[in-house]
Amino acid sequence: MSEPREPRPNEPVDPLASDPEGAAAEARARRRAETSLLQEALASLRAELRARLPSDERGIDWLALFDALRVKLGTTGMRSLPAEVDEFGLDLAALERARPWLDLLFERWWRVEVTGLDDVPRERPCLFVANHSGLLPWDGLMIAHALARARLSPHVPRFLVEDWLLSLPFAQPFLTRLGGVRACRENAERLLRTGCSVIAFPEGAKGATKVFRERYRVQRFGRGGVVRTAIAARVPLVPVGVVGAEEAHPVLFRIESAARALGLPFVPVTPTFPWLGPLGLVPLPSKWWIGFGEPIRTDELAPDGEHDEILVWRLNEQLRRAVQARVDEGLRTRPSVWG
Amino acid sequence: MHAPGCVAITGLRSYVGQRLAERLCARGRGPRVLGIDLRRPWRLERRVPFERVDLTDPTANARLAEIFVRERVEAVVHAAFRRDPTPDLEADHELETIGTLQLLHACAAAKVSRLVVASSTMLYGPYPDNPQYLTEAHPLRGHPDAHCVRNRVEVEELVADWSRKRPDADVTVLRCAWIMGPTYWDRVVRHFSGALVTTVLGYDPLLQFVHEEDCLDAFEQAVLERHRGVYNVVAPGALPLSMLLRLAGKRSLPVPAPLLYRLQDLASRARTGDPPAAFYDYLRWSWLADGERGWNAFGEPVYSTREAWISFVSSRRMRQYR
Repeated sequence: MSEPREPRPNEPVDPLASDPEGAAAEARARRRAETSLLQEALASLRAELRARLPSDERGIDWLALFDALRVKLGTTGMRSLPAEVDEFGLDLAALERARPWLDLLFERWWRVEVTGLDDVPRERPCLFVANHSGLLPWDGLMIAHALARARLSPHVPRFLVEDWLLSLPFAQPFLTRLGGVRACRENAERLLRTGCSVIAFPEGAKGATKVFRERYRVQRFGRGGVVRTAIAARVPLVPVGVVGAEEAHPVLFRIESAARALGLPFVPVTPTFPWLGPLGLVPLPSKWWIGFGEPIRTDELAPDGEHDEILVWRLNEQLRRAVQARVDEGLRTRPSVWG
Repeated sequence: MHAPGCVAITGLRSYVGQRLAERLCARGRGPRVLGIDLRRPWRLERRVPFERVDLTDPTANARLAEIFVRERVEAVVHAAFRRDPTPDLEADHELETIGTLQLLHACAAAKVSRLVVASSTMLYGPYPDNPQYLTEAHPLRGHPDAHCVRNRVEVEELVADWSRKRPDADVTVLRCAWIMGPTYWDRVVRHFSGALVTTVLGYDPLLQFVHEEDCLDAFEQAVLERHRGVYNVVAPGALPLSMLLRLAGKRSLPVPAPLLYRLQDLASRARTGDPPAAFYDYLRWSWLADGERGWNAFGEPVYSTREAWISFVSSRRMRQYR
């Protein structure tokens, strides 16, 4: 600021000026009371009505009628719509509508068997870490559905989805409505802060693009982002093994040459895709098994443990082994692929 | 610094400039307001003194500095930006980037101690790999095809640079979401004001708005109080495009992306006044901003995204019935 200047004649001195709190409160209070341009016009119209319309003789309050009519015309059919989504675009109404279909997939199509849910902490957010398979996030949807059916927490569990999947038309609105969220650390932390459990697939693209002969071999878990997120948010890490999802879309081999033109990481070739066209996207009815493992607690670690690279990588590998162990257990116990 | 005694507003004819001038004048013990633009807006109180300065003029910085010193300007609001993209790339660059540079020179020469710059959350850019909520620390990626956005990114870089060199000046940058309300008007509003709204087939992004009054509130407080730094000015809540349209009783016209971009490109090249095809990226990918910091500084907005949208739609409907 330049040197304090003397007030000019006719210039009002503001005693509140040096008090930002007061100025803010004043501005806000005045702002609510003040009339905008539109309201001014309405006020003058109202005054005109008052002058022209007889109000007392017949006992009709024209002004109230006018106001009511204005509000009615302005908002007809609008407030009746209970359209609401949460901050990540989850539409509870759409999810409710989809429940019967998810139940159908869960109970009849894949006959999902769930074990180890008793170990999962209740009423608090967790970071579920699972092996990934297939390009379509059926595994995420099914884990989220299994958790929702178990009613562990009032919050809807959310699953993280690869960027490129959310960049496909129709997939984006569909997945977003059902609780899919783009996989990135900011999103996971925000969700955990608001109390939602998060299902992550830290294998990332390496997991999604596995071909059939590499099935059920859990890949490296990125660079430990999941562990870091869990330490920062102080939530337990729950390893999850999914068995059966690899056979739902067995990728026999992948074509990488045509992929760039289509904006995909690769074009998968399965027994049904692309031979049957869109029908080839229907997953095969393999028998699924979802096993939840012993949670790994992170709240005893130092809060800045996320910067301890040795610790993070050790936990990361421990987590990967836990997921692999669950997967192996599922593979051992299942009688056949089709159950 | 206490509340400024004199506030200069560049771009007096812009929406924010004019409405902010009216608001500051309406304050009983508010600061003096000095308007700067190419022409005096036809509907503005006589109380606002006006100076004609062309920011694209090479000597604008000297002229502005002289005005600032003479009038003892303590705070400057920089709102001299085009509301809508123009096909004239050169003119756009001259006004927005070079104009800002001139203004910054003048502010430095006149030792202006507070600078408020109007910006937009559009500068974050629409990308499929954006986090759901972009904080102020997120880099401004802009949009490679939208020169208007690119210019504004450059403006922010200039302002940030200037602010680093002058730690004693309070520099506030307000990144506003798309403004909605009864009186605001621009291409975005135009896009949404018809009964049929073009959308990108298969995409339904969450959108967020800010009500015009809430936006002006933030500007007013940024002028009167000390709020250093960058703030997102957005309304709480976000709604998917399809839900917004359903709420307003509008129909959507979904067009496949490749066709839509090609058509829009042709239209904007033919200078029909349509925005460049890049506009539809903003109706395709996510670019929501995190308003937390702004709400803590300027108070929770009165209107949520949903209410801002309803306020806009209902005022448009009233116009039809008039």
